[in-house]
Amino acid sequence: MSVSRGAGGVQERTHRPARSRHLRERGPALRSMRPRRVLDLLRRVSEVLETVVDPEVAAWSVLVAFTAGEGLGCNRAFLLLADGEELRGWFGVGPRTREEAREVWSEMRQRGVLPLERLAAPDQGSVEAEQRRHTATLASLSHPIVKGCGAWRRAFIGRGNHPNPCVRHWLTVLESRELVVVPLMASGRPWGVVLADNFVTHVPIYHGTLEAAETLAHYLRAALERTQLLRRFQEERRRRLVAEHATALLDTARTLAHDLKNPLALAGGLARELMAAPPASNETLLRQLSIAASAISRAEQRLGELVDGLASRADGITLEPVEVGAIVDRVMEAFRPLAASRGVRLLSYHPARPVMASAVVPSLERCLENLVVNALEALRDHGGEIHAAVSEDSPWVRLEVADNGQPLPAALRGDPFVGGITTRRGGSGLGLASVRTLAEAMGAKVEYDEREPGWVRFTLFLRRWS
Amino acid sequence: MNASRLLFVDDEEGFLELYRTAFARDGYTVETTDTVEGARERVAKGDIDLVVLDIRLGETSGLALLREIKARDARLPVVLSTAYARYQDDFSSWLADAYIVKSSDLGELKQAVRRCLGAGR
Repeated sequence: MSVSRGAGGVQERTHRPARSRHLRERGPALRSMRPRRVLDLLRRVSEVLETVVDPEVAAWSVLVAFTAGEGLGCNRAFLLLADGEELRGWFGVGPRTREEAREVWSEMRQRGVLPLERLAAPDQGSVEAEQRRHTATLASLSHPIVKGCGAWRRAFIGRGNHPNPCVRHWLTVLESRELVVVPLMASGRPWGVVLADNFVTHVPIYHGTLEAAETLAHYLRAALERTQLLRRFQEERRRRLVAEHATALLDTARTLAHDLKNPLALAGGLARELMAAPPASNETLLRQLSIAASAISRAEQRLGELVDGLASRADGITLEPVEVGAIVDRVMEAFRPLAASRGVRLLSYHPARPVMASAVVPSLERCLENLVVNALEALRDHGGEIHAAVSEDSPWVRLEVADNGQPLPAALRGDPFVGGITTRRGGSGLGLASVRTLAEAMGAKVEYDEREPGWVRFTLFLRRWS
Repeated sequence: MNASRLLFVDDEEGFLELYRTAFARDGYTVETTDTVEGARERVAKGDIDLVVLDIRLGETSGLALLREIKARDARLPVVLSTAYARYQDDFSSWLADAYIVKSSDLGELKQAVRRCLGAGR
């Protein structure tokens, strides 16, 4: 259960019923929140809203300020937004029932949770869960905008006999005795409304709370307008990118049709003609065979380029010629002091001449580092050897990292590159997964074997640069 | 015996070789060119009965040549032959008498040539 809900329980503790009854009788303007506390709350919320980029997070942040014990201390709060001729329930924060309130507030007290502290780092998942949790209530709160709503200027407290049918509807849906109604107007028409009540504690609501609520609601409106604009802008940008990608894809399709389909059609067409009626002269036969062979070679080369291009574009990376031996030397040298301190010998082998692979230097370095770290972990207790070897195995360049440490745990042997399995060997369990991800982004692959007794070997198969 | 004179325009010599072989065997008189200029000159000279035109001619578009040919002689049949089917969506290609997607099987192209010559002048 989410703990981002109102901390009315804190208010429950500090409430003094006799004094409050007295104040209610004299009217709502007599007691205010302490100005310093209000200013502190407004400052914290405005700071949060400055950096928020999602409308949902903006709504959650302000409604949490309404419901937090160290905020306005309401039990629950809802935001309704105008949609055509209707005020539609959009977001809610707080418990749904008295039982839920007791359970949640008790849990929050035990865990010492202060909701306002969570505003600085909102958890998107919790925010969405909170919005979903109130779906039914929000749907019930929705109501057509009726005459009279446009006359609202300031926040007020609605009670059962309120003349406006919207207010009476909300009181009925929420089963509230009294309800804070904070209207948000635009050009004389409702833009939205924030509702809040104390349906569990029945703590009266005071004038000072209304003023702070009004200010918070106006912060929320500004943040919502900004974030909704930002979202529309992002959506437009996304659409433009999709359109650009579609155009680029069309261009690619045309180019592919020309560069790939043409030679295949040509080679096939010539083959059919040769079968249907072999030419009288050997010279013609050889010329046509040569045209067909050349067309097939061209298609093959284009297909290879396409595969390489797609592999690198998948992660927005550009493959380049990388001298694998030099990378191995550099990485092994970096690990030498650490290995020596653990009694581990690092040995590397690669041909004297440069062996070039299609790769991305930082990605390849990261792969190798992760494999060496994994090997060092396996040798932590007893020392041993780590071998890194480069060899050519057309069309691949093999980069092997082997160690004679403890074998891979049984849980990892099926697929050592699956993320999240934490063992001593492999550390967080993400290192080997990351090797596979990085390798695949470079159009490479990685394999594991324990064929040689006592040795664990990981082999990166990098595409040879041609 | 078919005495019609066909002009094939394609920037790839291999296709021109294929067309020469395949259509000459069917009795057509086959002429070929791999440039827009060559095609323009040959059409201007006259006595061509049908043009088979690739759309992508190097950096030039065969569609522009199609418009020129049709502006000069709307009755001269032109068959567009290309690897890319979506050019059919380009209204410029609608001027052509037939639109064929290149294939290793020349059956469809041969059929289109026969149909256009039958319906032509």
